[in-house]
Amino acid sequence: MALLEIQHLTKQWKAGKLALDDVGFSVQAGEIVGLLGHNGAGKSTVMGIMLGMVHPDKGQVNIGGYSVQTQRAAALRQIGAIYEAAAFYDYLTGWQNLKALCSLSGYWDEAEARRIVKLVQLHDRIDAKTGTYSHGMRQRLALAQALLPQPKCLLLDEPTDGLDPEGITEFREFILRLRDEFGMTILLNSHLLGEVEQMCDRCVILREGKKVFEGIVPGRGENKVRFQLTSPDVQEGRVVCARLELKMDREGIVELPPPMEGHTVLRALVEGNVRVESWQPHKQSLEELYLGLRRR
Amino acid sequence: MFLFFQQWRAECLKLLARKRTYLGFGAFLALEAAVLALVHIKGATHFKTLITRQGQVFDEYYSAPTLALILFMASVFLLGGIYMTLVSGDIVAKENEDGHMRMLLARPISRFRLLLVKYLTCVAYTVLLVQFIAWSAFLMGLAVTGWGGGFFAFVPELGIAAFYDWQTGMGKYIAASVSLSLSMITVTSIGFMLSCMPIKPAAATIGALSYMLIDFILRNMGFMEDYKHLLFTHHMQAAGRVLAEEPAWPVIIRSFAVLGAMNLTFFLIGFGIFDSRDLKS
Repeated sequence: MALLEIQHLTKQWKAGKLALDDVGFSVQAGEIVGLLGHNGAGKSTVMGIMLGMVHPDKGQVNIGGYSVQTQRAAALRQIGAIYEAAAFYDYLTGWQNLKALCSLSGYWDEAEARRIVKLVQLHDRIDAKTGTYSHGMRQRLALAQALLPQPKCLLLDEPTDGLDPEGITEFREFILRLRDEFGMTILLNSHLLGEVEQMCDRCVILREGKKVFEGIVPGRGENKVRFQLTSPDVQEGRVVCARLELKMDREGIVELPPPMEGHTVLRALVEGNVRVESWQPHKQSLEELYLGLRRR
Repeated sequence: MFLFFQQWRAECLKLLARKRTYLGFGAFLALEAAVLALVHIKGATHFKTLITRQGQVFDEYYSAPTLALILFMASVFLLGGIYMTLVSGDIVAKENEDGHMRMLLARPISRFRLLLVKYLTCVAYTVLLVQFIAWSAFLMGLAVTGWGGGFFAFVPELGIAAFYDWQTGMGKYIAASVSLSLSMITVTSIGFMLSCMPIKPAAATIGALSYMLIDFILRNMGFMEDYKHLLFTHHMQAAGRVLAEEPAWPVIIRSFAVLGAMNLTFFLIGFGIFDSRDLKS
């Protein structure tokens, strides 16, 4: 069973703009799934609905079998979240902030909290007021509060926004460690393609409130084989490919269904008098996928 | 229940960790010190006239509770109201504005429970502030007049001018301070209700103060005589009624029941509004 199930979410803001239009996807236990989209695509609205902070017009979210809309407390006990910018009480210390937030979950284990604080490398500054924290430290504290008390799943809403390159790298490594060492399921909301490409197994792409893609992040464990043709006769090459029931795109990229191999198509191209300058395996990037969806 | 207490305690600690929470305490200390200094410098001729006109001995009733009551009753409603609406107007609206509410509600806690915790924190602050004012005024009175003497309970708007010995007077003074604490909760409840609305914290505070002052002004207008039961400031006078030699308990109980019902209504309206809101920047 999927740990997170997002079903037919529809949300219209008062201004009349449809923020979400029948969006649905699921996240299996142990996966890192990226929720991608341009600014205003509806990513944060999905997150808000998942946390019960935004009321959907239609649809629902189930977390670990509990509906957020009808069994909010039971559902949210399964997750930890960083939703929008991490806002702490600047007049309290990091430790006091953690304690205050954990009191709302009805759980406080000091030893566990110390362990998590050390894990996010904030143990040296945890007793300082959060008003003195850098942005990176605030993000680490946000991660610490999300990890208490031991959630099955993390919902991270643009967690690396405003971090410096070192901070982003550290954060990425930490998230991967959470999945690899602790089997954590993570839903990462981001508009940074590189971030999703490096961290996620699968991704869901939203565009103007609609889901336009759900699948494996290109280059991650997929079986599809693509070749790219460089030739002055691309149009003729497209005709040859069509005869083999293959589709060549504008960049000369052809996706081969298994078990077809590249040399089979190359032979057909040569026999069809196509002047082949190069015929090379092509690895599709997430950026290409994303931009391709945009052009549609 | 234990969990609820823990959550309430955490909320109270958060409130007490903020410097602005202490503004009210500081302002009252300054006011009390200023008034007592004036009384001391200018002499207590006004008191003397009031007390001797009733056929009583001035030195006997010019005491700590007499001085404290005058300070206390005159200042709690207007000045106290400012700080109570400041705290209650902030408690939801400011947290929402600063993004704290999103952090809190990412936790497995219902909106109702979170608001109840916050409301009870405002109630605790109200009681604490009124008690602080009552007892700091009493201590300042002690510093001027010393221990002992009688208690002259003077509430002109209710026609109360009663004289008590020290022991009975202290009982009356405690009863008045507790009653005033309870009645001021309505001011806090108005601020809380407005704080739950999608408005800025300053607007919630100003809105609550406006409500309070409009109600107060209407109460003092003659043509509202037949409708005064609709005004919460009229029912707040129950706090002063306990100082009468023979308090009108049915009137006092009815007023507190009305104030309690208003508090519950303000809380539920606030909750209803907050619960229907989408919390997203």
